Amino acid sequence: MLKRMNFYPFVSVKLAEDETRKRLQGKEFKTFSGVFLRKMSSLTTETCCPDKRGSFFKLIDTIASEIGELKQEMVQTDLTLEDGSTDLQSLVKDMDDVCCEKKDSKSCPRDSGYDSLSNKLSILDKLLHTHPVWLQLGLNDNEAVEILKSQPPGIFLVRKSSRLQKKIISLRLPSEFGSCLKEFAIKESTYTFSLEGSGISFADLFRLIAFYCISRDVLPFTLKLPYAIAAAKTEAELEDIAQLGLNFWSSPANNKPQNPSPPHRPLPSDNTYKESRQLCLINGVHSIRTRTPSELECSQTNGALCFINPLFLKVHSQDVSGSLKRQSPRTQDVNGTERPRSPPPRPPPPSINSLLTSPQLSRTIKQASMSETVNHNKYRNSDLLQKKPTPIPPPRLKKQAVSSEVEGNAKTSAVIRPSHNSVHGSEAASVPGEAPPEHSLAACKKTLATNSESQVQWNGGRQRLSDMSISTSSSDSLDFDRSMPLFGYEGDTNSSLEDFEGESDQETMAPPLKPKKKRSSSFVLPKIVKSQLRKVSGVFSSFMTPEKRMIKKIAEMSQDKRTYFGCLVQDYISFLQENKECHVSSTDMLQTVRQFMTQVKNYLSQSSELDPPIESLIPEDQIDVVLEKAMHKCILKPLKGHIEAMLKEFHTADGSWKQLKENLQLVRQRTPQELGVFVPTPDFVDVEKIKVKFMTMQKMYSPEKKVMLLLRVCKLIYTVMENNSGRMYGADDFLPVLTYVVAQCDMLELDTEIEYMMELLDPSLLHGEGGYYLTSAYGALSLIKNFQEEQAARLLSSEARDTLRQWHKRRTTNRTIPSVDDFQNYLRVAFQEINSGCTGKTLLVRPYITTEDVCRLCAEKFKVDTPEDYSLFLFIDDTWQQLTEDTYPQKIKAELHSRPQPQVFHFVYKRIKSDPYGAIFQNNNGNDEDNNSTS
Amino acid sequence: MMAIRELKVCLLGDTGVGKSSIVCRFVQDHFDHNISPTIGASFMTKTVPCGNELHKFLIWDTAGQERFHSLAPMYYRGSAAAVIVYDITKQDSFHTLKKWVKELKEHGPENIVMAIAGNKCDLSDIREVPMKDAKEYAETIGAIVVETSAKNAVNIEELFQGISRQIPPLDSHENGNNGAIKLGKQTTQMNRRCC
Repeated sequence: MLKRMNFYPFVSVKLAEDETRKRLQGKEFKTFSGVFLRKMSSLTTETCCPDKRGSFFKLIDTIASEIGELKQEMVQTDLTLEDGSTDLQSLVKDMDDVCCEKKDSKSCPRDSGYDSLSNKLSILDKLLHTHPVWLQLGLNDNEAVEILKSQPPGIFLVRKSSRLQKKIISLRLPSEFGSCLKEFAIKESTYTFSLEGSGISFADLFRLIAFYCISRDVLPFTLKLPYAIAAAKTEAELEDIAQLGLNFWSSPANNKPQNPSPPHRPLPSDNTYKESRQLCLINGVHSIRTRTPSELECSQTNGALCFINPLFLKVHSQDVSGSLKRQSPRTQDVNGTERPRSPPPRPPPPSINSLLTSPQLSRTIKQASMSETVNHNKYRNSDLLQKKPTPIPPPRLKKQAVSSEVEGNAKTSAVIRPSHNSVHGSEAASVPGEAPPEHSLAACKKTLATNSESQVQWNGGRQRLSDMSISTSSSDSLDFDRSMPLFGYEGDTNSSLEDFEGESDQETMAPPLKPKKKRSSSFVLPKIVKSQLRKVSGVFSSFMTPEKRMIKKIAEMSQDKRTYFGCLVQDYISFLQENKECHVSSTDMLQTVRQFMTQVKNYLSQSSELDPPIESLIPEDQIDVVLEKAMHKCILKPLKGHIEAMLKEFHTADGSWKQLKENLQLVRQRTPQELGVFVPTPDFVDVEKIKVKFMTMQKMYSPEKKVMLLLRVCKLIYTVMENNSGRMYGADDFLPVLTYVVAQCDMLELDTEIEYMMELLDPSLLHGEGGYYLTSAYGALSLIKNFQEEQAARLLSSEARDTLRQWHKRRTTNRTIPSVDDFQNYLRVAFQEINSGCTGKTLLVRPYITTEDVCRLCAEKFKVDTPEDYSLFLFIDDTWQQLTEDTYPQKIKAELHSRPQPQVFHFVYKRIKSDPYGAIFQNNNGNDEDNNSTS
Repeated sequence: MMAIRELKVCLLGDTGVGKSSIVCRFVQDHFDHNISPTIGASFMTKTVPCGNELHKFLIWDTAGQERFHSLAPMYYRGSAAAVIVYDITKQDSFHTLKKWVKELKEHGPENIVMAIAGNKCDLSDIREVPMKDAKEYAETIGAIVVETSAKNAVNIEELFQGISRQIPPLDSHENGNNGAIKLGKQTTQMNRRCC
């Protein structure tokens, strides 16, 4: 009896795998139906006892749901598939007819198959909800063995191997495999996750695991969910399981994997000879599977093939962003020691119930469920959750689907078009708003009459969109060319639209070197070309999705004061806006903002508030990048206006704007040659172009995007300089031209822009190209700002100074009469004030008198009121060196005189702050600190 | 997979000694088309293998004219290495080099690797700076020294290989002092979290 019970699962696995194989090989689904029917009849003959019918139905249910899942997972369009599911549907109904005594009194006999399908949670849903159980990044090798050794084969954990420095799947093996478990490394590229050795890659970890629950690919067999998870019917059940976290594995909840007739994804637990042989057989069959053209179709030029269905991503993005926050510490391990995913350092307040619904979910649902669920912690939002199995597709997608179908209808003569159309028609009627799922369900039910229409019902049940996800095993199919790309194209437009809506000031961004994307193409491309382009953009946009989704989610969370993170961000923003006087300088203000962003980033990457954890959606090397972008969006975006106003205030108050303005005027009057420029310079038109770029820059809030624009400006300058000569110009030529261009642009605001970037840019980028040109732009502005002062201080243009140096050289080498300051106990000190120029005095300074004492003496002699602002500098070789208090000026003088090549030097007593480059030092030190704290 | 270390390298030296020519030669010989080129020659990158690491040189060129001298600290700040270039046919440029060395010793990053490049060695018949002088000077300051010719691609690779060898291998003490940023700092964060 028990043996027989266990057998069903195997059949279902085998059928599902058969199914996969058939699909992947692009075979007719009908074949499968035939096989299926044969299997069914053999089964029915085997198990004719009436009490089996319940499980028989479950079996059908399982197969049907697997097909549904496969449809989500696989890129396919084979229309015969629909026929297949139709057959299956009718089979299900037939089965219902046969099984007259229904155990499950709730489901009505004729509709039960349908209902159970529509309410069933997909593997992906289950994985998303229960990640605190199986996603255990902090688990070490021994702990993993400890947990898995008591589990049946096929059970898995995802963790991070400290040895490989990679995420791995630890898979429990059947005993005949020799070892208890095997590890499979997960490869993370910039945008995707894949198993090592496999050509199939996924947008995130959940999709990867979901796929390997259905298809083994490079694994010895498919992954299996623990019984309790596999059997869970509602999201509330899954939530309860998730609450247990790692404790799930040792809890009674996980204790009945050998339960008779597991309804879902059964386990080859007993390792009986028969079963393992069967397993091998399955694998044997499976190993010959080939890749379909559709997989190849989506491939990149090198690297892993991509196997991501953009529609699938879209539909499921709701699940991800709509999933609930669990505020309980759910990740205590077996011993009760803290796990990495333990609560944040300062845990979120208990009242948080961050309901992060995706904007695609209707607001009304969100609000309603919120008010209902605030008080019910355990089953919070269950209403909402129950709606999720039939997610409401975003209206845009529907429209698109309709149009593509209409288009397709016109062009092709597909057999089942009419029924498709009728469904979409009714859906379209129920759009544009967010129709309650029941509505569309009802619409579908109406069409449930004939066999050909029952497949429509299938479509209508759940994930209809994924059924329409047309990309296909037959790449030459018209349908593919049209509709899949259409989706991608729309997706792309959508995402840019979102960008536009969300951050209108950022909308013009494009990588500096790439030509701007033309969105509204007025010219008509040949259809084929167009669809190819769209296909590319479709694949591209599907890659971008997890990142955008994550950023959006973080941004939404930052608005939500019920999360700890939201409190942190909102409180900081309002604090900054309300306390204008809390910062002494612009640098001080920007540095605290930067520090805050870095701290919040660290908090986010370590806290458990992000659910699902960011590691599961974003490849590791991209996490920081994504978090940084999110910080810009949720902190800099709301603060941009305030920061700009404050910067303006600071610079007006300290007179630096006035200084810059005056000097800009002076520099603008100089010819390029006078500024040391001896290469072609941008003409009027180029300068206008550059000005436009700078003005665009002002609209951005993201320092990175601002830097991108700066790079575009620099690129343009290079192009002009090189003037097709092919010559490469280094900094010797570039910096003078940049200075000239900055002056020509005559934009005071550039000063604050540069400051904003310098201080707020992710410190890790400061050493790169962006950092370099930012430094150069800062340098150029500093030179301009101090142009007048430079002149006043006789820091003349290089030519003039060269002449001067030559002159000095002659003078000093032929020095015959020592001046008084050469005598041992005297020191000639110049006193330099910006307004009054230079005056000199010879002071009595004994050899062992320190700089500190000399300063005191100078303050007295030059009648300085604020001696703390002044210091003694050594001016030598055209550079300023501030002498520290404990040095001995006479010793320095002696050392200088004793050099083989006499040098010109002066001791100058002057203001510390008037040296612009001293200020640079200070700023940059601040950045260094940031850098250290993050690395 | 080898770890990539980003190393900021600063180029110093008089204008006209061939700073950017050296870098262009270094970066553009055996040009790797997989790496996106930089927008101009003032900032260039090149990745070379060194032991079990990959060194990605982020090369910062500076303007050699004296009026830009005061900006130099912004450029050499955080550098792991400095290449100081002089022209073997110009005694003055060697003098400037000494000035840079001095400034770096006083204000530059701690443990900065210094490499002296006597460029234009193809013009040795009008040489003003004897090789011996440069060698002796380099010895006193513990710097790498080579005579290079950007024009004829002499000793360019060797110059940077020498720098690579002097960069202490990344071990337990990873701090920002030598200007090296380890890529994938998220990984280290993760580790911190896991342990």
